[in-house]
Amino acid sequence: MKFVIKSISKNSGRLGQLRIGKESNELQTPLLMQTTKGGSIPYLSGDVFDSVCKGQQQQQLLQLTLSTMDQMAESLVQWNRSLSEYVGLPGHATVLLLRDPCETTPAGGNDRDVVPLFTRRGKESLTATRYLELVSSFAPDVYQGLCDADTNPDSTKKRVQKSVDRTERFMEQCYERRVENSTLLAPIVGGYNTFARTQSIKHARQQPAGSYGGYILEGFHSNGLAATELKATQLLPIVEHCVQQLEEEQPRLMPGAYTPLLMLELIRQGIDIFDTSYAYCAAVNYKALSFSYKLDEIRPDDEHTPLLDMTAEEYKEQFKPLLSGCTCLACEKHTRAYHHHLYKTHELLGPILLMIHNLHHLMGFFDVIRASIGTDQLPALLEHLRMQNTSTEINYRIEPNNKIVTKAAMGKGFIAPAV
Amino acid sequence: MGSKIPPLTYKVVAECSVSKARAGLMMLRHSEVRTPVFMPVGTQGTLKGVLPDQLIELDCQILLGNTYHLGLRPGIETLQRAGGLHNFMGWPRAILTDSGGFQMVSLLQLAEIDERGVNFRSPFDNSECMLTPEHSMQIQNAIGADIMMQLDDVVKTTTTGPRVEEAMERTIRWVDRCLKAHARDDDQSLFPIVQGGLEIPLRERCVSALMERQVRGFAVGGLSGGESKHDFWRMVHVCTDHLPRDKPRYLMGVGFAADLVVCVALGVDMFDCVFPTRTARFGCALVDSGQLNLKHQKYKHDMEPIDAACGCGTCRRYSRSYLHHIATNESVSCSLLSVHNVAYQLRLMGSMREAIQHDKFPQFVRDFMERHYGSEPIPNWIREALKAVKIELALDSTKGEGAGESSKQLVN
Repeated sequence: MKFVIKSISKNSGRLGQLRIGKESNELQTPLLMQTTKGGSIPYLSGDVFDSVCKGQQQQQLLQLTLSTMDQMAESLVQWNRSLSEYVGLPGHATVLLLRDPCETTPAGGNDRDVVPLFTRRGKESLTATRYLELVSSFAPDVYQGLCDADTNPDSTKKRVQKSVDRTERFMEQCYERRVENSTLLAPIVGGYNTFARTQSIKHARQQPAGSYGGYILEGFHSNGLAATELKATQLLPIVEHCVQQLEEEQPRLMPGAYTPLLMLELIRQGIDIFDTSYAYCAAVNYKALSFSYKLDEIRPDDEHTPLLDMTAEEYKEQFKPLLSGCTCLACEKHTRAYHHHLYKTHELLGPILLMIHNLHHLMGFFDVIRASIGTDQLPALLEHLRMQNTSTEINYRIEPNNKIVTKAAMGKGFIAPAV
Repeated sequence: MGSKIPPLTYKVVAECSVSKARAGLMMLRHSEVRTPVFMPVGTQGTLKGVLPDQLIELDCQILLGNTYHLGLRPGIETLQRAGGLHNFMGWPRAILTDSGGFQMVSLLQLAEIDERGVNFRSPFDNSECMLTPEHSMQIQNAIGADIMMQLDDVVKTTTTGPRVEEAMERTIRWVDRCLKAHARDDDQSLFPIVQGGLEIPLRERCVSALMERQVRGFAVGGLSGGESKHDFWRMVHVCTDHLPRDKPRYLMGVGFAADLVVCVALGVDMFDCVFPTRTARFGCALVDSGQLNLKHQKYKHDMEPIDAACGCGTCRRYSRSYLHHIATNESVSCSLLSVHNVAYQLRLMGSMREAIQHDKFPQFVRDFMERHYGSEPIPNWIREALKAVKIELALDSTKGEGAGESSKQLVN
């Protein structure tokens, strides 16, 4: 993996180019990794995903997670083509992470010598040896170093210190036994404690040049919707503290469903790579992304909400697209009323269409981010995201959908009274 | 505009010189449909997990929707405001709807039928309700499908005695009520349903009575509900013997590959079945030799596609091994296997059509049965049914005789 910074500015983050593997194209940063589950883009077949990516950079970076794919390791040993071909998405680059950013990672299970892997079948305890064996079977383009990232804003100082100490021990083994032909990402942990973060960064920076090809900043949240709940005032100071100490030439990843506003703030601080788990978390809770990311965009009054909740009765007979002017397949071919119907009937097409729309929207947002950095307009975009032309700050958190489709919500049209 | 053209025209484009099989072209308001055709079932305004665009890419020309479900959600009012189901679900091609009666009897335990209609207790507030022929027409007119079904008096296929005859007679009375209540005959074609249980004279009487009505096609109902295959094919055979040559024939609820091949030979044009998409959701993929249960351990390291000769998006990209790992675990597997299984059904129908057009259908049937049953014996009912339309299958010398009267389900 090769990373080149194209431009950098105090207020507007940095633009870069990432080249992964020999034949790959250049990926432009700030970059969205494509979150996957079991190797697939959630809900989307390879063909459908390709149609979503039309007009985007050709190559995407797939964020694969061991917690949703570990059962495939044995088969992958026998597979003699690339990992991306195995998951039906040939031509894309792969990053292998431990945890699925889409779902809450349970706490606990960490120990001196093991990291827990929470899979569909239960918990497995990974030693460094077992982990590196798995990575070798997968043969991803990029993989993360083993770490204890089980910390969040509530973690005690003691717990945070443990995560740093254990991570150092795991990383000793990861540095010693590098996986061939794959780029290692150095994990930076330490919760919200500046001292612990510094220690974690120091350990990475002590390594000889070429030991790793980028940083992965973890331990801020426990994945799933938790990432959408983080406060900027809490997260930004600690990230700033880290960024100041990181080697400038290395790309910086922050996996998790950070809100669009928070992602922008983090980009301004110099984070380069995020993922699409926010799009997934919204889709699975029947929300369509609807925030405006174009500075000159004028929206009808009812479209200033950051998310449309498709479970709401008000959409039952709205025969218009999720977002007027949106060119995604879900908006070009389907109405809000249909989305609402798919929710009411719990049809699989509901989350499929929302995932198509949400990915399209988030990818469009990142196109605009890259353009804004180029023209030094990131602060204006940030302000636009923050207020959305209204007078109050927009809240981008995703309300979990706990609604149950009630009998009362059923149409009565069918049922004629007995004659 | 175009109101002079009937909403359904059908012509036979080729006939098998041996069997009763025929290839036809049906022109509907929303699509042309090349028959014989398999119609995937999109119960609630969506084929589970598959986008309309994907169905178009598979060259699916007609989908089935269920009136009972659509009447509940989104309901008549919403469908009317949307301008019908085509608009509502974003499907530009043809749709066929059932009457709602069958689903009511099969899904609701308390359904009772009398001369007025189907009585049932609402699943939602337990109040007494009734679906009449007129009401079924009202909902189906709101849905706006290209082809709609009459409300019929449904009895279990295994019922015997006077109740079968009563149901048949009532079905004929109800078709007149349906025809009278049908408000959109310029856009939608109403098919009557041939009933009569497993009794040849009743089926014959029903066909001739229905043929006196002004309709553009016929459905054969009351089969595929647990009767023996021996009875099943004879009922299909007698119906197609008497139904007019120049109108399409739809056999309701049939979709296993071997049944499709036999019934095309018997002269049926249209089929529907939930099986291909339902089995996909359980991790099963259709191939000529039956179905692969991809959850089976033997596919764990199988790096071949489901079917190397299949051009569907699933076979082009994914190995059995990968599908083994995600089947029933990741919801995308439901989409992937549904796409393949629908592609399989449509391709099977397409190959039959092509064979009929080249007058090579009997050979196609023999080859298909060979591939489908492999080393297992071909069931007697298939031999008999095909013999009735002059297609002889080679006797299998090595295979045991007297095999399965029920359809073959699983090949592992």
